[in-house]
Amino acid sequence: MKPIVAGFCLLLCTGSAAMADTILPYRVTTTVLPNGLKVIMIPMESPGLVAYYSVVRTGSRDEVEPGKSGFAHFFEHMMFRGTKKYPGPVYDSIVTSIGASANAFTSDDITAYHLNFAAEDLEKVIEVESDRFQNLHYELPAFQTESGAIYGEYRKGVTNPYEVLDEKVRDLAFDVHTYKHTTIGFERDIKAMPEAYDYSLGFFKRFYRPENVVLLIVGDIKPAAVLKLVRKYYSHWQKGYDPSAVQQEPPQKEERTGTVAYPGKTLPILDMAFKGDAFDPANTEFVAATVLGDLAFGETSDLYKRLYIQEQRVDEIRASIPMQRDMPLFEITARIKKDEDVPLIQEEVLRTIASFQSTPVDAQRLAGVKKRRRYEFLMNLDTPDRVAGRLSRVVAITGGIEAMDGYYTALAKVTPEDIMKAAKKYFIPERRTIVVLKGAAK
Amino acid sequence: MKTLSFIAALVCAPLCSMTTGEASVKPDNAVLVPVKNDPTVCFRIWFKAGSQNDPEGKEGLASITAAMLTDGSTLRNSYEQIRDKLYPLAAAYDATVSAEMTVIYGRVHRDNLGEYYPLFLDAMTAPAFSGQDLERIKSRTLNYLENTLRYSSDEELGKAVLYDAIFAGTPYGHITSGLLSSVKSITLDDVRSFYRIYYTKENLVIGLGGGYDVSLVSRLEKDLGKLPAGKPHPVDPPEPAPIRGFRATIVEKDAPATAISMGVPIDVLRGSKDWYALAIANSWLGEHRNSSSHLYHVIREERGLNYGDYSYIENFPEGGRRSVPPQNVCRRRQIFEIWIRPVPPEAGHFALRAALREYSHLVENGLTKEQFSLTRKFLKNYVLNYAPTTMARLGYAIDDRFYGIPGSHLAQFRAMVGTLTLADVNRAIKKHLHYGTMAIAVVAKDAKGLRDELVNDLPSPITYRTKKPEAVQSEDKEIAVFPVKLSPEDISVVPVTEIFR
Repeated sequence: MKPIVAGFCLLLCTGSAAMADTILPYRVTTTVLPNGLKVIMIPMESPGLVAYYSVVRTGSRDEVEPGKSGFAHFFEHMMFRGTKKYPGPVYDSIVTSIGASANAFTSDDITAYHLNFAAEDLEKVIEVESDRFQNLHYELPAFQTESGAIYGEYRKGVTNPYEVLDEKVRDLAFDVHTYKHTTIGFERDIKAMPEAYDYSLGFFKRFYRPENVVLLIVGDIKPAAVLKLVRKYYSHWQKGYDPSAVQQEPPQKEERTGTVAYPGKTLPILDMAFKGDAFDPANTEFVAATVLGDLAFGETSDLYKRLYIQEQRVDEIRASIPMQRDMPLFEITARIKKDEDVPLIQEEVLRTIASFQSTPVDAQRLAGVKKRRRYEFLMNLDTPDRVAGRLSRVVAITGGIEAMDGYYTALAKVTPEDIMKAAKKYFIPERRTIVVLKGAAK
Repeated sequence: MKTLSFIAALVCAPLCSMTTGEASVKPDNAVLVPVKNDPTVCFRIWFKAGSQNDPEGKEGLASITAAMLTDGSTLRNSYEQIRDKLYPLAAAYDATVSAEMTVIYGRVHRDNLGEYYPLFLDAMTAPAFSGQDLERIKSRTLNYLENTLRYSSDEELGKAVLYDAIFAGTPYGHITSGLLSSVKSITLDDVRSFYRIYYTKENLVIGLGGGYDVSLVSRLEKDLGKLPAGKPHPVDPPEPAPIRGFRATIVEKDAPATAISMGVPIDVLRGSKDWYALAIANSWLGEHRNSSSHLYHVIREERGLNYGDYSYIENFPEGGRRSVPPQNVCRRRQIFEIWIRPVPPEAGHFALRAALREYSHLVENGLTKEQFSLTRKFLKNYVLNYAPTTMARLGYAIDDRFYGIPGSHLAQFRAMVGTLTLADVNRAIKKHLHYGTMAIAVVAKDAKGLRDELVNDLPSPITYRTKKPEAVQSEDKEIAVFPVKLSPEDISVVPVTEIFR
């Protein structure tokens, strides 16, 4: 069967008029192969360099089975163990011999494999990447050895108080949704990983399928030639994606609170988490919330200036409003210099929220944050790796990059009233989980 | 190698020449990396001062002074006003301070250069030195030393302890953040004094990159030329005490895993033929955050003991946070270093032996033809990843000036990788690396137990939860008894609360 090519162009195909509709200053070509594999190609000036991202739209969000937290990340490691044609050491030596920078990352909604390399090696990269995505093969001992490396990764992270806090906040805030656990997973599940060999084979069959993967190829490329190679190497990949039955979190009824002890020494950290909404450019309140965090708690906010600069009661305060596939936590965290100030800082955060619920934000400040977001985006598109890395998240969440333009278009329209509505919708006691972390060592 | 003239320790402060004048920074003090199509402009202003210039008892002063410029008020704007003005531009400026360098850097979109430039310039030429800023910056530094470094990253702690141990008694002998007692003692007068001596128009190099207009170069020269004159006295390169045999510092703390770093001074710097030869050997042994690393292969890939294992021939701070080497952390004395990421406590002694054993093999046997050939191929393209952005290229260009490299180090690196022979590499290994001397830093829960094991050179057999291939098992037997013997007087056990005091 001849592949159906749905090529389209987000920009500059018909002249510079298209510029107004997109924030990305590069021409984009998107194609979907008959097996569902989407290929997004972005040529850009980058003498001889190419970034190649295989974005799997699966992350720790998909770990629905009990005892399997951390598995998506674990599986990311297994993808480097090779195939019958190119066993792990051979794959490594190929990547080494072309001098590629190769790595991977996993988070809630995404597992991404990325290589940066010289354009002349593109076919070799497509060949070995397509091979491991279709024919991954490893034996039990390799699987069990890799679980040791995961435990090592857990160990290096567990001394960080923010990771200890994150584990607690998620566990307390969520009842059924898999955002309940961190990407690295619960320690007890990491310990049990060596026993899950058969499960891992099923994991590959379910999620590593063309309909669940998007290729992002950016840099010194010619899309037509790239597409020819992609077809050559990926067309035989069989469909078969079997999505996880991720349970959506039921509405929370009342505030939750907790404490967590950090075994080392640290200043106390306050985390006030509110259940938000999934990433959706059409949801005005969500878009408004993405800038509300900065306006209320960011470095130009009144609260930041008072608590961090003038009174110096905190040595860090920030808000995080993540863009995720399902309902995430919108979090305000503060590291507080004195234990006895924790309740006071909590009150200050709540008072700030109340003022954003009742008083429209200054229009000039809102314009400032919009301008910042735009320039932040534009300034970080200077290498193929940064372009692909930046887009990979929206690709994982939505399956394409169109929503990114949707987001920036919606952001430009956000009004002070929208900010008030977002503050009233999300930052309420019924969505709230408050956790305080304190150090145990003196 | 070009001799580098540097900087005075504060003890000589009264002797440093101080004149005032309006002369511009000399054009040969500019490092330019124009990139016409880059929509951003990158700045790196290098002041020839670093933690080696911290006066005794004021360790941390170089770092705090730089923070007072980039994270404090100016005579024209309060700290809050600066944040307000920079925020919409999505631009910032900051400082990197290492042993020998302070670089004030920033990047801005061309559209916003007009608003950004005066703020960036004021940071260096018109700092307010407010008490409130100093209090905030000191408090942050103290928290970093007392809590973050001691408790939240054992691998960074291990590296800091290693460098302190090797360079004890020299100007490199403390981390840039300083010590708890010295940071507490730093006053506004200390900061002003450091600024007066080192932030002079004769002690800086302008770095400019990206899509700037050529007129910006002369403007910056003229504007920075308003800084006072003064050429600080140079500090001699440090001479660390020779290491005899193995010696270890074991930091005792309630750690969930054991972090290990080790190293020994080497007498080779970037730019020389030997450095490139050694870089090939080092890349094979332990290219940072890369699965091509041999140590990674032995300790992580085959045995699953940790997350990664790497080696270095140049200072590489914050290795956990970056995938390629940093810029502007140049030093005239470097160490060869091995970094073993945290391993289970019961595997600490074994992992230490495994790393030393691989190192001994490298020193004894050099690289094989195959290893050499694969590493060459790898580096030829991989080096391109070291500087993918204008900001990084500008950083390397500044570093070239530091090391007196006439062209580009990275271009030279790629060229040398093509021309060096296996014999060159193995000769460099023999000349610069020697097995049997090594400073070791370990962060461990059972520090005294580990000390006893090392003193008695006790076997450290390893067990796994799963069966390993025969080859691994038989190699494990050799590793478990690989001799790494230390005398009791060569091991110090230090409680974590005693570090950085």
